[in-house]
Amino acid sequence: MQYHQGGRTPKPMDQQVAELADRLKKGGGGKIITIALTLLLIFAVASSLYKVDTEETGVLLRFGRFNSFAEPGLHIKIPFGVDRVYKAKTGRVEKEEFGFRTIKAGVRTTYTKRALEGESLTLTGDLNVSDVEWIVQYQIADPFKFLFRIRDPKSTIRDIVEAMVRKVVGNANVTEVLTTERAVLATAIEENLQQILNSYDIGVRIVTVKFQDVNPPDPVKAAFNEVNEAEQQKESLIFQAREQYNREVPKARGVGRRTIQEAEGYAIERINKARGETSRYLALLKEYRKAPQVTRQRIYLETMEQVLPNLAEIYIMDGKGTSALPLLPLRAQGQGGKQ
Amino acid sequence: MKRFLPIIIVALLVLGFAQNPLFVVSEGEQALVTEFGKPVSGILGPGLHFRVPFIQTVHRFESRILKWDGDPNQIPTKDKRYIFLDTTARWRISDPLLFFKTVATERGAQGRLDDIIDSVVRDAVSGHLLVELVRGSDYQAPGDAAVEEIQIEGVTVAPEHLVGREQILANLLEKARASTPEYGIELIDVQIKRINYVEQVRQRVYERMISERKKVAAQFRSEGEGEKADILGQMEKELKGITSEAYRKSVEIRGKADAEAAAIYAAAYGSDREFYAFLRSLEAYRKADGKNSKLVLSTDSDFYRFLQKMK
Repeated sequence: MQYHQGGRTPKPMDQQVAELADRLKKGGGGKIITIALTLLLIFAVASSLYKVDTEETGVLLRFGRFNSFAEPGLHIKIPFGVDRVYKAKTGRVEKEEFGFRTIKAGVRTTYTKRALEGESLTLTGDLNVSDVEWIVQYQIADPFKFLFRIRDPKSTIRDIVEAMVRKVVGNANVTEVLTTERAVLATAIEENLQQILNSYDIGVRIVTVKFQDVNPPDPVKAAFNEVNEAEQQKESLIFQAREQYNREVPKARGVGRRTIQEAEGYAIERINKARGETSRYLALLKEYRKAPQVTRQRIYLETMEQVLPNLAEIYIMDGKGTSALPLLPLRAQGQGGKQ
Repeated sequence: MKRFLPIIIVALLVLGFAQNPLFVVSEGEQALVTEFGKPVSGILGPGLHFRVPFIQTVHRFESRILKWDGDPNQIPTKDKRYIFLDTTARWRISDPLLFFKTVATERGAQGRLDDIIDSVVRDAVSGHLLVELVRGSDYQAPGDAAVEEIQIEGVTVAPEHLVGREQILANLLEKARASTPEYGIELIDVQIKRINYVEQVRQRVYERMISERKKVAAQFRSEGEGEKADILGQMEKELKGITSEAYRKSVEIRGKADAEAAAIYAAAYGSDREFYAFLRSLEAYRKADGKNSKLVLSTDSDFYRFLQKMK
């Protein structure tokens, strides 16, 4: 550094330097030098040590150019701005919330949704509106790219996540978004998102995209509930009807069987009776044929014997007369026809 | 040596804080050196560089990807629906010299990007239907709904003529990209961050959603009633079937039994009709037997004859 000695361009600064040198030459400046050197030394040592925390990765730039990565621990670098260290939290899984914010995380986490409708209200493909809350987790895959390929990566990630969610939700229908297809949609968002971020080459890896609450917008919620209710009602009406069916049909089957069995009983009875009566008759007939006259009379009289005592009155009519004139009131004179 | 040491220190300090001929361009930066305004270097990447103090000036620019955020806009679509659109874009300084000449600073660039992207977006939105902006090209309409008819000014647009959101964005990006290189800017992409109805339209959409849901609810209820009636009808039918079948069978069985009994009687009694008639009439007497009955005997009757004989 010959610069001040030549004094080619007599500038005030050079004069000052010369004066300072003069003063030092005269003595009494030794102390200042010692102090200055000590300070310089302390500064040099202090600024040549740096620490990388457990969850971090250090990126060391030498003269602004990438030199190396630094693992967690204590490291040495060249001081005076030759080496510069930047740190990125590569171990952390960062989380971004959309449509809601965690106010206080803890055992019982509290959330807020205030003034985030713009973020959460999303148009579906069938032009309905749904209120979607979701989270994205990402990790820094390449700290160098994350630090030096993009400015404010967080806000870019947020922007692209929102764009992708709207793209994917816009390609689905409201019922799918609200119910069945949530997991499928989340996967699609994750893929789309990773693809875009890869195209930026900013060293970010998406860990997951997850839907939290997905709801119809507040004014429409009641109507959605009504549909659920109606569905339940439908089920319950069907069950009611099935119950009545089950109550009545088996019973009717039993009653039907009873009717048939009764008829069968009647049939058996009728035939048995017929068989019995005819056998009796045939037996009688056999005897009758042996002695018809006697048997006939006997049967007749036996019958009369049974019949007459029970009669209240007996009238005898002349067989030749056509009118009922010559009546003999037998009964009136005595007790029956028992003689 | 001791004489020069303080001088060296001071010189270093001066060099460090003022006009240092050496300068560092960091990762994420690019730089340009001008001499009295005239560019004298190429684009300088990360590393240690040299310049002539007092004469040459270093201009630093970002080489990282930068963000452009559109001012949310209300734009009517081709089918005259007012929507609220929020766009965002990524860009980088691709040509620092041109960038420095034309827009000078990032703020200047943002303003220029506002002009370019806003107008392209406006064109794209007003040139397409809302469904095209919302849906992708592989959109599937809900399975249960009837085929949707999209009309514009009374003319039906066939679904295969619809353009998807990806295509619109690609066209939009292409158009916007065409005019950014003249500012030394490379536009990386443009994304629709938010798209939604404007407030008044949203209320009407809610109303539509409500009535649509009510329709579905009414359908469910009616389906429930219908199925109930169906089941009960089925039940009635089965009950009638069961009862009448049982009646039919029982009557049949009784009939057969009667017939069989008749056949048996006929076979037996047919062998001597006269004796049967005799027995049967006596049987009838016996049946008629009861207290307070009256018997009218003819003088012709057998019984009377017996009585006469006995006399």
